[in-house]
Amino acid sequence: MKRFTWNKLTSRYPALFALTLLVLSVLINVILQPNMFARDTLNSNMRVFLPMVILAAGQAIVILGGGIDISVGGIVSIINTILATRVGLEGSAETMWQYVAISLLIGILAGAINGFFVAYLRLQPIITTYATSFLFAGVALFILPNPGGGIPTSISEFYRSSIPLGLPLAFYVIAIILLVWGFLRSTRYGNFLFAVGGKAQAAYETAVPVTTIQFSTYVISGLMAAISGIAITMLSGSGNAESGSAMTLNSITAVVIGGTALSGGVGGVAGPMLGAITLGFIQNIISFAHIDTWWETFAKASIIVAALAIPGVINLFRRRRP
Amino acid sequence: MTLSLSARNVVKRYEGVIALSDGNLEVNSGEVVALIGANGSGKSTMSKVINGVVVLDGGQLLLDNKPVHFASPQAAKKEGISTVFQELSLIPQMSVADNIWLTREPLDRFGRVRRKEVMARTEALIALFEGTIKPDLKPETPVSELPPDEKQIVEILKAVSFDPRLLILDEATASLDSRQVQRLFELVKKWKEEGKAIVFVSHRMEEIFRIADRYSVLRNGKTVGAGNINEITEKDLIKLMIDKESVFSYTRSESEKAEKPVCLEVNDVHADTLKGVSFYVNEGELVGIGGLRGQGQRDLLLALFGDIPFSGSIQYRGKPVHFRHPNQAMKNGFALVPGDRNREGLLYIRSILENFQLPSWARYSFPLKLGKARKDAERAGADLNLKMAGLQQPVSSLSGGNAQKVVIGKWLLRQPSLLLLDDPTKGVDVGTKAEFYALLTRLCEEGKTILFYSSDDEELIGLCDRVMVLHDGKIYAELAGSTLTHENLVAASLGVTEGGAR
Repeated sequence: MKRFTWNKLTSRYPALFALTLLVLSVLINVILQPNMFARDTLNSNMRVFLPMVILAAGQAIVILGGGIDISVGGIVSIINTILATRVGLEGSAETMWQYVAISLLIGILAGAINGFFVAYLRLQPIITTYATSFLFAGVALFILPNPGGGIPTSISEFYRSSIPLGLPLAFYVIAIILLVWGFLRSTRYGNFLFAVGGKAQAAYETAVPVTTIQFSTYVISGLMAAISGIAITMLSGSGNAESGSAMTLNSITAVVIGGTALSGGVGGVAGPMLGAITLGFIQNIISFAHIDTWWETFAKASIIVAALAIPGVINLFRRRRP
Repeated sequence: MTLSLSARNVVKRYEGVIALSDGNLEVNSGEVVALIGANGSGKSTMSKVINGVVVLDGGQLLLDNKPVHFASPQAAKKEGISTVFQELSLIPQMSVADNIWLTREPLDRFGRVRRKEVMARTEALIALFEGTIKPDLKPETPVSELPPDEKQIVEILKAVSFDPRLLILDEATASLDSRQVQRLFELVKKWKEEGKAIVFVSHRMEEIFRIADRYSVLRNGKTVGAGNINEITEKDLIKLMIDKESVFSYTRSESEKAEKPVCLEVNDVHADTLKGVSFYVNEGELVGIGGLRGQGQRDLLLALFGDIPFSGSIQYRGKPVHFRHPNQAMKNGFALVPGDRNREGLLYIRSILENFQLPSWARYSFPLKLGKARKDAERAGADLNLKMAGLQQPVSSLSGGNAQKVVIGKWLLRQPSLLLLDDPTKGVDVGTKAEFYALLTRLCEEGKTILFYSSDDEELIGLCDRVMVLHDGKIYAELAGSTLTHENLVAASLGVTEGGAR
């Protein structure tokens, strides 16, 4: 067992790094915010993290399949503006659920547009989804040029404070996503996903429906972005065409922290979800540390860069020794 | 189960270049047909026509005497035609089992893959090669962690798992060691008796005569001969392939071999797979490294070149050296032709010119001397008889033998004094091999020292002054002169007897 190295561990258990980082950030967080495991604090943290967790899960699927989706933030914005303008503060619960269903369809449609370009027209994923991200952001701005609108307070209250069986609502959502992923992973689709992301040419020669799989990852990502958009609308209770724009890069960061390689075919979905929670805690640490607002982005980015660099630094150190 | 497949007058063009102009092949259940030809003769294309990877432009494919048309590899697989690809069709990040059963996973009623069954089936397949592979090849091992020979075996198992009627082995033995080849041939014989048809594509004459029942020779896209293997000699077969006979005249003239000064002295080198290797090489000597695949040959060459960390001492021309970066080795006149030419030896999608200049670009910059660079590259290409359309062509467009010439050529431009070669003739056709042998002999006569690992025993015997046989990270035997025989070499490789004088 001489060769039981960190490298091998992380390659077999990609989420390990995310878990280590999560434990670290939780520890620091507990020091800064001693009551963070109190039910209300936990709930208020988790409900803020949830939209990013959902988004990261969708992004992870695309990246596992060898692509990348830069347009997820745009989709979040569209959903947010649609809900905020169509349902309204005075809307009924029925209208809300009706538009939730419509939102999911829009997410799937947006994902299908990405998937069509990338999988069927074989365009570069990063460029294509970068382009469509402007398309989606433009639609969001068209729907709601100025921040405003909203959804009924009762619904956002439901999202914000329901704790079935004493656990925050977010835990249940995360559990459902993990269960669905666990099932997908064990089906043939799961195998295909890893095959396409690993080496698409070889997968094709083995009769894997490469195009369909690629297409499907963008549809899933679009759907997850829509759910994320619904969550963020329920959280904020209002609409803003810019609400999703900062989320895209964070979702990719979460995936990388979560041990899912950008090259595709390695990793999973649990890791990126942990990564998203870690990012949330890092954000918390920054806010509690009373860092000047101007330095917030810098401090946050530094922590992320350092976190990403650690495995590489460990490797460098190992290589030096003969 | 029985099958008869016949390809008649097949034509295939790639963007105007004719790969096959008149390809013919006939194969029936219960026989092994060797598809032979130099690199670029169209035999890869021929096998791709049969397995549906490419669509033919002319001619006919008859399956069981009925015309067929394969639009995709899947269509051919449905008819029971399965291929072991030369360029591996495995997904590195996935496990052995997942790779073998990809797209044919057994499912339970919820659509989930039945892992246990997949593992058990894979165990059964791996057992076919038991004893010739390391015990750490398990169904759940990721393919990326396997050495090249075991990857090739997984590729073979994948093709066999289809239980095909026709199995195409395209250069499937190129990265296998002799024991693995032996096992594969036993299996091929068994499959043949079970009524499978087998098409065997190989460069190795000896293997063709060992396993094939019939042969079919391609030259420049045309089938130039076919018949029963026991009605033709090796020499005639080669003559058919290359149209010139001078291939096996590579054996070095037994000229005066005066004691030359020691060039390289290696003492107790340890690295990943090396467990204490010591030897010396004289100036102008051509020393071979033999043994089964993966016994440390690769690491030895990499350590000498400063590519991997090692412990132990190395003296080069009387001076102790310990390279920590290939750059230091290069400055001392070392050159390495690595084992995986497409990945390690070449910038695969870049031009021939760029590849030639890569190790010596410093000589042509500040100020930029593009004209001189081009001229030197052209001369190097001409020296090596490199067949190319132009220096701007990407290396990826060259055949295996020609690509290898670029790897060697880029080092020769630096005038190296010590060449380290890692199986340079792997996947290279007979004609080009002969050119390599002549080149190596010439380089030695010019006073260059060569350390040469080969998986081809005949090559080592015919070419080298001395052969060191590595076994399990140590030099097991050293063969020279009268002890340098095929028998001793094989025995020492297997580590069974004390072969040769030590």
